[in-house]
Amino acid sequence: MNTTAIVLVAALVAITISLSIFSQRFTRTTSDFYLAGRKVGSFTNASAISGDYLSAASFLGVAGAVYASGLDGVWYAAGFAGGFMVVVLFIASALRRFGEYTVADFSFGRFRTSRIRLITVLAVLMVSLFYMAPQMYGAGATWKILVGKGFFPANEAGLFLGVDPAYLSGVTVVAVIMMFYVAVGGMKGTTLNQVIQFWWLWLAMFILVAFAVGGGFNYASNLRTASDGQLLEVKTLTIEQATTPNPATGKTPLEVAKASMKPESLAAVQETIDAGDATVKVSLLIPAANKLHETKQVFNQPGHRYNAFDQFSMVLALVLGTAGLPHILNRYYTNPSGKAARRSTFWVLILIGTFYIMAPLVGLFGRLEIFTRYFEGTAPTNATYVDGYLAKSDALMPTLAQILGGQGLLGIVAAGAFAAMFSTIGGLLIASASAVGHDVYEKYINPNASQRRRVWVGKISVICFSLLAWFLGWWIAYAGLANVYPALIAMMVTWAFAIGASTFVPMLLTGIWWKGTTERGAVTGMIIGLLGSVGIIVLNVLQQTEVIGKTGVVGFFGALTFPVLVTFPLALIATIVVSKIDGKVPDNIDSIWMRIHGTASERHEKQLGLDKIGSLLGTKKS
Amino acid sequence: MEPTVEIQGGVVAGDAPNDPSRHTRHGDHVDTIESVDRVFLRQRRLSFSFGAVFFAVTLLIPAFTVWWPWWWSVKIWGGFTANYLFVSLLYFVFLWVMAWTYAARADKLDSELGWINAEQAQELEIEQIRATAAELEGETI
Repeated sequence: MNTTAIVLVAALVAITISLSIFSQRFTRTTSDFYLAGRKVGSFTNASAISGDYLSAASFLGVAGAVYASGLDGVWYAAGFAGGFMVVVLFIASALRRFGEYTVADFSFGRFRTSRIRLITVLAVLMVSLFYMAPQMYGAGATWKILVGKGFFPANEAGLFLGVDPAYLSGVTVVAVIMMFYVAVGGMKGTTLNQVIQFWWLWLAMFILVAFAVGGGFNYASNLRTASDGQLLEVKTLTIEQATTPNPATGKTPLEVAKASMKPESLAAVQETIDAGDATVKVSLLIPAANKLHETKQVFNQPGHRYNAFDQFSMVLALVLGTAGLPHILNRYYTNPSGKAARRSTFWVLILIGTFYIMAPLVGLFGRLEIFTRYFEGTAPTNATYVDGYLAKSDALMPTLAQILGGQGLLGIVAAGAFAAMFSTIGGLLIASASAVGHDVYEKYINPNASQRRRVWVGKISVICFSLLAWFLGWWIAYAGLANVYPALIAMMVTWAFAIGASTFVPMLLTGIWWKGTTERGAVTGMIIGLLGSVGIIVLNVLQQTEVIGKTGVVGFFGALTFPVLVTFPLALIATIVVSKIDGKVPDNIDSIWMRIHGTASERHEKQLGLDKIGSLLGTKKS
Repeated sequence: MEPTVEIQGGVVAGDAPNDPSRHTRHGDHVDTIESVDRVFLRQRRLSFSFGAVFFAVTLLIPAFTVWWPWWWSVKIWGGFTANYLFVSLLYFVFLWVMAWTYAARADKLDSELGWINAEQAQELEIEQIRATAAELEGETI
């Protein structure tokens, strides 16, 4: 157990809860609860959006991906940042000017039917749950590394409810904290917390970079050193897999590893193999294959993760997916004006851009530094290595932090990992709660509910979704999904991006920029995007678990890691074609258009001084 | 009596003598559909031009990565290939410059809409005064 790290995480939790209680005093209306009273300034909102956006996948995963894969890992950083260009160019100001609460409000206001509102709610919940699940898994896994102990009793097999008690304790702690802080603080509390959590993340990354530069890091020459020779990767395989020949080369992974592993490490592997249990796993260090070019794989060259098709589809998934994340889109309503929404996005690009410039640098530095320290005998002993390389690349950040700054810096990084989870889960809970509390309860179940009751329903929704998040965290471990997908967090986040990009982005793009978009067109596009992306993801899971084969049409679609390249154009074309055939635009399309693209309301507010920010907390509840 | 249309936040549209669905009024400020459409077309051109540049550059990176060996294999500065340098550093600068330039131009278009509509608000008021004067004239006769 790491005492410094636990103290810092506890401090972060204490700050989080205090801010939630403090901001509860200023939450009176649904506008306060869901939108922080629409008074969040550009820079504050940019910090909160960045906190909302940077999940554990970004904080731990990007540097880890660069550490493991080199250039293909850097693509994550560029793609995550690039997504906000689509937001600023096509969506930010129009969504804010529409002046509602949620994405479902926009679809209803633009197309005027309950059908499209309810489909949007369904899609919001799908994206949120796909995004929430890996965060909860990350919470359990990080707790296991950091604390290593649980408060649930273990049975004879060392399990509780079929999973590791330490893992489930982490999931439970995070679910309870999130339930409390979002239900109590609402969007105001969440916004304040996300601002603090973002800056904690940013500073943690900055400190690592500062230590690296202070330790003599030189980007150009270190990159040359890392790219000297073939990229080596650690693969964890069962003994059966390690000793089965590849049909193409005729060599087993174990034979391939002989060229790159130290004799003593190979001897240890051989000892495990000789023990005779074919299901036991061993870690091998083997030269990485190049999926893109017929050359050896080098750190500064592409091809370790993506073939030619995935080079395009991955970048499209990340770039378009950002504009389809409901918890990010909802934040745009908190801006005081359309102009402020654009400024917020510009600042987001600066904030996360600098973060994503630093993350690959840390990944590169870690690859060289950990290797050196391992052979000096000064690498931390709580990580697993194979001849100087980390067995799990997600462990890069905490391992490097320990090397560079001891237990203190490890504590900052560990608290940063929790901050990343808190801020993202907070945003997702608000988005899910508003989909049910605002879009369903307020609009259909009890339209005449008082403000007090509406806020109360929002809080109940947050509690329900927190419980659902806990269930997802438990289920992922129980179902053993992590064994099927080694990079499960990054994979599931990418799925959420794919569903958002395929479902929301065609509707938003056409709804905002083409008057001729009809309700039938938008509904058709959304259904095709939603079913197409979810269907391909399910096929992919079935293929990975060897339920379906890799041949034929089903095999082709099941092999698509990133469905966006297929589902986004399909949904967009369907929206346009059906709208053209249908031709029934809403009767009040001109009023809608003036609401989306007009500025009279903002000019009026400016004249009256109502656009002033700096009053995020508003007034106390009477 | 002219019909009125609730737009948002209790603001009333269509209290002027012409078609109520053709303009919105918020206090002294008016948007007409003609002016909004005119500026919208320029806004759309601006967004889609910048969008075209953004997607062209973003998709050129994987295109070069797949088909242009110099891009990904030749070291141009230390261990940096053009591919690595662009994706890890220059792409972000490209995003910042684009976002700033776009936001500045879009804000300018918003301001133009304000000026256009200020003139149209005056015209609407003159029309209202004329209509009231005509009504009074009728009563006098």
